[in-house]
Amino acid sequence: MSKPLLEVRELSRRFGGLLAVDRVSFAVQPGEIFGLIGPNGAGKTTLFNLISGTTAPSGGAVLWQGTPITGQAPDRLNRLGLARTFQNLRLFEGLSVLENLLVALQRHPRSSALDGLLGTARHRRAERQRLDTAWQLLQELGLAALAERRAGTLAYGDRRRLEMARALATRPQLLLLDEPAAGLNPAEKDQLGELISALRQRHQLSVLIIEHHVPLLMRLCDRLAVLDFGVRIALGSPEQVRRDPKVIEAYLGSGSNAGGRAP
Amino acid sequence: MIDVLLQTLLNAAASGGVYALVALGYTLVFSVLGVINFAQGALFSIGGYLTYLLMGGRIGVNGALPGWGLPAGLPFWLALLLAAAGSGLVGLLVERVAFAPLRRRGAEPLLALITSLGAGVVLVNLLQLLMGAEGYAFPEAALAGLPNALVIGGARIRSVQVLLLAVCAFAVLVLTLWLERSKGGRALRAVAEDATTAQLLGINSEAMVRLAFVVSGALAGLGGGLVGVSVSLAGPYMGISYGLKGLAVLVLGGLGSVSGAIAGGLLMGLAEALVPSDASGWRDAVAFAILFAVLLLRPSGLLGRRPVDRV
Amino acid sequence: MIDNGLLVQMLIGALLGLSVYLPLAAGQLSLATPAFYAVGGTLAALLSTRWSALGATAAGTLPLGSLVLELLLGGLLAGLLALLVGRLVLRLQGIYLAIATIALVEILRVAILNLPFTGGAVGIFGIPQPFATAAGYVLPALALLALAGWWCQRLEGMPLGRAMAAIRDDELAARCMGIDTTNVKLSAFVLSAVLAGSTGALAAHFLNTWNARQGSFDVSITTLAFVVLGGSRSWLGPVVGGLLLTALPELLRPVGDVRLVLFGLVILLGPVLAPQGLITPALLARLGRWGEEKER
Repeated sequence: MSKPLLEVRELSRRFGGLLAVDRVSFAVQPGEIFGLIGPNGAGKTTLFNLISGTTAPSGGAVLWQGTPITGQAPDRLNRLGLARTFQNLRLFEGLSVLENLLVALQRHPRSSALDGLLGTARHRRAERQRLDTAWQLLQELGLAALAERRAGTLAYGDRRRLEMARALATRPQLLLLDEPAAGLNPAEKDQLGELISALRQRHQLSVLIIEHHVPLLMRLCDRLAVLDFGVRIALGSPEQVRRDPKVIEAYLGSGSNAGGRAP
Repeated sequence: MIDVLLQTLLNAAASGGVYALVALGYTLVFSVLGVINFAQGALFSIGGYLTYLLMGGRIGVNGALPGWGLPAGLPFWLALLLAAAGSGLVGLLVERVAFAPLRRRGAEPLLALITSLGAGVVLVNLLQLLMGAEGYAFPEAALAGLPNALVIGGARIRSVQVLLLAVCAFAVLVLTLWLERSKGGRALRAVAEDATTAQLLGINSEAMVRLAFVVSGALAGLGGGLVGVSVSLAGPYMGISYGLKGLAVLVLGGLGSVSGAIAGGLLMGLAEALVPSDASGWRDAVAFAILFAVLLLRPSGLLGRRPVDRV
Repeated sequence: MIDNGLLVQMLIGALLGLSVYLPLAAGQLSLATPAFYAVGGTLAALLSTRWSALGATAAGTLPLGSLVLELLLGGLLAGLLALLVGRLVLRLQGIYLAIATIALVEILRVAILNLPFTGGAVGIFGIPQPFATAAGYVLPALALLALAGWWCQRLEGMPLGRAMAAIRDDELAARCMGIDTTNVKLSAFVLSAVLAGSTGALAAHFLNTWNARQGSFDVSITTLAFVVLGGSRSWLGPVVGGLLLTALPELLRPVGDVRLVLFGLVILLGPVLAPQGLITPALLARLGRWGEEKER
């Protein structure tokens, strides 16, 4: 098997007395869609923040193509090839949809501030290229008609897609999706699965996805890890995970509202 | 020799006490609203001039009413208390004009910084119109009955500094007791802790905000009166300089921390007192140099409460 | 009503407004502009009065080339200082940054007041004049403002300016999009300092004397007011704010000493009456549409 794209080794995070993430290990292979599920409060989002560099881990390691990247700043990680979305949506709300993408495209291609100030041919060429890419992405995610709108004025589903487009614009190898289906209606949820598969194909992505909507992940993912109380209790194909007694117990034991979410 | 040492330490504690009063004023407002009232320095000046006028001091030749003064002067104690109360009321006015309209609209906190600066500019210049730009010394008899110097263990020290320190200490004590023990003080702290929860518990947070401004203005006014009597009134802008140093103390002690403001004030007073007299021109930079050094060495250490960036 | 002298002051006000605007456009409330202004002004005053190679004459004139050199050097020195200080203070956020920059202004003010070669409270006087009258300064001040405005406009259409806007909107999200936020903030801070430094160099000649009061906390307040009242969403805001608010106290001179009170009232009531400032995005959009219609 080739070297994993992302490897998480014994990663832990303590908040005061609480171990939010407890020695969790898994690896994401190139081209894979890898899901993280677990009941509310299982530590999924914390784990995500540890990987994307927005929270520092208390212990363990994160490796990118075999090189340790533990505790590096989110902007460096993004430049390495990890891009993420946010569960509670953090668009640049004051900027237009197009500008949101142009921000993310600032290194593709690179151009110096001096070129920009002088308005050189190189700068103009780079800008044209950025605009082309931005429009392609907008079309791909069905946002082209909204390009000039302020991001803060978009409908919820459009914001979710804009977050994905913005992450894609940074040209990641690994896309981290933090509950991309949250707040979407059933029809949008169905489309989301197809969209993610399509994006993986076209952009040669690996995807690490957290989602509450378990049926979606069961359909979409190549492999899944299940977290409960910060501990990884299962890892495997959707089929394996579905049958795992520990997983069934975690979901049934986590309260009456878990019924609908059980795998 | 011991005279000098004792006097230096006393000076340090006395000016530190004044800084602490100013910083406490900032702290009260900051803890309930999360903003800084930049009119604090103007309230300091107002306290100083009010004390002077209430004691029967006359307006100088550059003022609006040259030679005017109250027919009879009050004793220093009473004048100081009334001046502090007056500054407190002006503080309330500042809240009504510069903070309340923005708060009602939920405007960004940056704007309150500007409006409070504007309120400060208005107040200081009104004071200048009334009193003129000249300095005022308090009448000789201001502290009638108090000897000019005290002899403690063979060392002679200026008694007005002792008085200043004592008043500051007393004010800080009263404030702390009030915050800890009284119903109003506890309500204020509850609002500072969590305004929404306090509201649910039936505390009128708007009233607490007003209270914070009154007490904060009174503290600044007290500082102004004390500095006026111990040194002199150096012009309406004198409060601005104390206001700025109070800011440095505020950050040093940690935003929103009462004990931090007191400790920071004393530390700042001591540091300034240690500046040798042949470099006294640099004294005004000491507070800010310390602030800078602290930020350099511990950018997150002494910073009190910091907003946590939630993902 | 507006003579050439006031016009130059207004242009200097607009330049300082832009200097406060630049860090703010990256979400950083810095009040350090007067410090950099003081650095540029002091450098120009020292160089032109002491360095004979610049060609100051006994009659108090100065070659134009020397002025340009001083503008560059003033900007450069201020920029270098900003590079050093910025690494330190830009780690701070919000009100902490504002206070730290006030501290910088005060430290520099006290330093200029006390250093052996800056002339103490009186300052440096008899600074040589590249122009015979105030009218001569209008053109260079206008040129500097035009250059600064043009660059601010360009900034909006290039990666640095977009990164600044993104940080202002959501710093963490900007970092997660690969933006080196430390560098972007530092760039905005340095650009702001360069502009203030060059402006100071020009102002020192225009004013003929230079002392510590030129870069005081008062200037922090007024320059910030330029941005807030003019509007902080576009570079045009601080320019308009700087022009108007510099003219205001002078235009109010007939009312005498009350003018400073009125000036304070403008700062006090401006944000209440016009929270977005005079130049709002909505206004710019309307102007834009109006322009398009006219073209058709």
